[in-house]
Amino acid sequence: MLKSIIRKEILNNLLSYKFSIIIILSTILILVSIFVMYRDYCLALDNYESIQSKSDYPHPIAIIRPTPLAIFAKGLEDNICRSHEGDDGEIKVSSKPQSLNNIFKLFTTPDLLYIIKVILSLCAMLFAFDIICGEKEIGTLRQSLSNSLKRPILIIGKWIGGFISFILPFFIAVLLGTIFVTLSPVVDINVQNWEKLGLFLLSSVLYLAIFFSLGLLISCLTHQSSSSLVISLFVWTIFVFLIPNLGNILARQLVRIPTVQQLELKRELNRSWLMIERNRADDSQHREIYNRFRAENDKHTEDYRNRLNRLAKVSQNITRFSPAAAFTFLATDIAGTGMTEERGLKSAVVLYFDILGDWDLEKWSQPGFSYQRFSYQSCSIKEVLYQGGLGNCLILILFNILFFAGAHVAFLRYDVR
Amino acid sequence: MLKTIITREFFNNILNLRFMIGLVLCVIITIACIMILVHDYRQELADYNLRVNLQDEFLDNYATFGRLFWLIPRQKPPERFRPLIIGISGDENVESFDNNPLPILFPPLDFLFIVTIIMSLLALLFSYDAVTGERQSGTLRLVIANSISRTKILLGKFIGGTASLLIPFILSLLVGALYVSINPSIQWDGAAWAEFLLLTLASITFITLFFLLGLMISTFSRYSATSILNCLFLWVLLILVIPNICPYISAQLYRIPSTKVIGMQEKVFKYNALKVMGQLREEIGKRFKSNYGKPFYELESMEFGGLLGECSPANLKAAQQRAEADPEFKTMINAFREELGEATLPIWRSIKENEDKLWEDLKKKAALQTKLAKNLACISPFANFAYVARDLTGTGLRSLEYFEHTNGEYESRFWKYGEKKMEDAREKNPAFEEESSFLDLSDRPRFMFKEESLRGKLNAVLPYWGILVLFNVVFFVAAFAGFMVYDVR
Repeated sequence: MLKSIIRKEILNNLLSYKFSIIIILSTILILVSIFVMYRDYCLALDNYESIQSKSDYPHPIAIIRPTPLAIFAKGLEDNICRSHEGDDGEIKVSSKPQSLNNIFKLFTTPDLLYIIKVILSLCAMLFAFDIICGEKEIGTLRQSLSNSLKRPILIIGKWIGGFISFILPFFIAVLLGTIFVTLSPVVDINVQNWEKLGLFLLSSVLYLAIFFSLGLLISCLTHQSSSSLVISLFVWTIFVFLIPNLGNILARQLVRIPTVQQLELKRELNRSWLMIERNRADDSQHREIYNRFRAENDKHTEDYRNRLNRLAKVSQNITRFSPAAAFTFLATDIAGTGMTEERGLKSAVVLYFDILGDWDLEKWSQPGFSYQRFSYQSCSIKEVLYQGGLGNCLILILFNILFFAGAHVAFLRYDVR
Repeated sequence: MLKTIITREFFNNILNLRFMIGLVLCVIITIACIMILVHDYRQELADYNLRVNLQDEFLDNYATFGRLFWLIPRQKPPERFRPLIIGISGDENVESFDNNPLPILFPPLDFLFIVTIIMSLLALLFSYDAVTGERQSGTLRLVIANSISRTKILLGKFIGGTASLLIPFILSLLVGALYVSINPSIQWDGAAWAEFLLLTLASITFITLFFLLGLMISTFSRYSATSILNCLFLWVLLILVIPNICPYISAQLYRIPSTKVIGMQEKVFKYNALKVMGQLREEIGKRFKSNYGKPFYELESMEFGGLLGECSPANLKAAQQRAEADPEFKTMINAFREELGEATLPIWRSIKENEDKLWEDLKKKAALQTKLAKNLACISPFANFAYVARDLTGTGLRSLEYFEHTNGEYESRFWKYGEKKMEDAREKNPAFEEESSFLDLSDRPRFMFKEESLRGKLNAVLPYWGILVLFNVVFFVAAFAGFMVYDVR
């Protein structure tokens, strides 16, 4: 019986107008997004290669190659792929690739992560909002249940059939996009990246299943499709936009942190103090002055970084109440463009310039001075899961269980008349 | 009769579940948002004041002419509309290793979000079944059977529907305005309130646009279920897709080199130029060695006239004493300085010219790319509204440009003032050193950022506002045409 319900649900959906609209929308969006982000990746790669090829530039630079997975989830890629140079105990970063075009600051990056997080989650709810109440309105639910059909089987069948028909177009579009990307000679996806891409898609399925189950739950709690739709959109807005964005601002109220402008100003003033004092003092005092400068800079930096780490933790904890935030953290971490990767890279960059020693730009510029090139190993899947990824994954599973169990209980008590 | 239709439409809507949900959502989000943003604004203001004080304190105690360029006070205060709209923050314009990455992952929530996402969605929910719903329930046929024109029905639906839709919005806006007006940390003048009023009007234009879009789709559909799907499809395209994709498309259509590459080109050029400069110095040094012999070796041992033209204060003092005691030594130093200066001046000039050229070129190209992206995105009402709202309230790209402009003017004024001060200081004390002597800047000009005039802002936003009005007209005309031929059976 379960099989028949699943088949009926799939066929029903495949023949519906809703399916046509959603398949057109998701396919176009996913393909356009992958193409646009692929071109953006090519630009980032060009930048990286032109910096790497400057062999007559003598100073050590810490820069990493853009990851091809940024095509799917850009996250903090612009931050991660900046070039870093050490100078008197400070790390100077170059601007982001398109930083002069300020219009990028007004709009969001349209990558696959954004499409899944915002648009496909809405599509999932649109697929599920009338599964139960819609059938009740047209009277077929009463007829179905008048047979020897158990309610749990009916709702499980509807969930499986509905979700399969929703997720299939998504997979086809992603597959087409991935084929396009892998056929390009510019993109080099290794085994680890394939594994990461697989995990990214798995987490996307988990995420979309949450919204499908939520739509089903709302459908089981309402008796009219129009009410179900309004409530669904209301809940979607809260989960996808409100909690993550408001949570982020709220965290800033809980953890007070100076602005980066203040930190950079303190550094600049300290540097000016160093230059002036150096000019005023004898050679013998230079080391002492420099040590005072470094101690002052390190104090500001350490205080700021401690606060920033605390802010990131508090923000992550607040926003995790939304599946969209948990999914964003998980997906970007898997793609190597998330907070975990950024933290790891920052530590590696600091360590690199520390090992080079003394942070002395003039010494590094000497003709005979040779140094080891910066190398960085991006986080493996195991590391990602260990550093919060597993927690985010469990949150997604928990939301799934919660909403489906809620839908199940609500349907058991549902008045089909 | 029109009045009856408006009243009926209005009451029908406000007794509906979607009205209640919209009202609750709007009021709660607006209040929560404004309360948090006001708190955030207070923190930013405190941070700004602290930065200004730090810089003033440093200038009062440590100012030297050599560091003047790095010490020019150029702090941007938080925008006065910061409690409502989060602009492109100062932090985003600072390239720092320690930038906070969280705002990149989760763009902030503000008044713009409420209007563009919540109100536009609500507008569609209010109008998607305005015609189809009545057709399905059979009331449309009954209404049309009376002696009432279709134009009046459509107009009544538009006015009644919009009026009911705007209640949650206006109510939450009033609460927000009240909170802002009683908060002592926010002091808005007449111009700010005028901008707020204009912002409200622009928001209403944007909201009615989506109401009309829903109405138009409703007149072209037979069933409410189809109508809502089409509405959401267009909403996704107009709000979530087109504006976000346009900057990337423009970046592909009109490519510019990245700042990374330009910075690198600049550094490589400078490095090579300095190498040439070093070679020149060596050649001059060789000549002086053969001409002057031992005294020049003595001068060289003092690291005098090195590549950077710097030597320690002790060596400088020794060189000066030596020059005073020996006129020939003095002539040699002066000749060496002069020749070195003449030889290196064109190289310094070429470095500066190259720097200016590279960055000017890039800025011009970036401005063209931004313009292209901005124009491309105009096909989405979201982008037009974002430009209008941000530019009106001084939280957008235009305000950044305006700040750069006023800051540039101040910098040149400050620079002239600094040069004058240094000349005065040199007149008083001939031993005045650019890099180490304290320069008294106590009567320096202070940087006071003034908002652009309302007229200037209005002139800038009118074209985009015009596009929003045009969208309204097009959707209304299309809805009218659709309803004229609508089969009410």
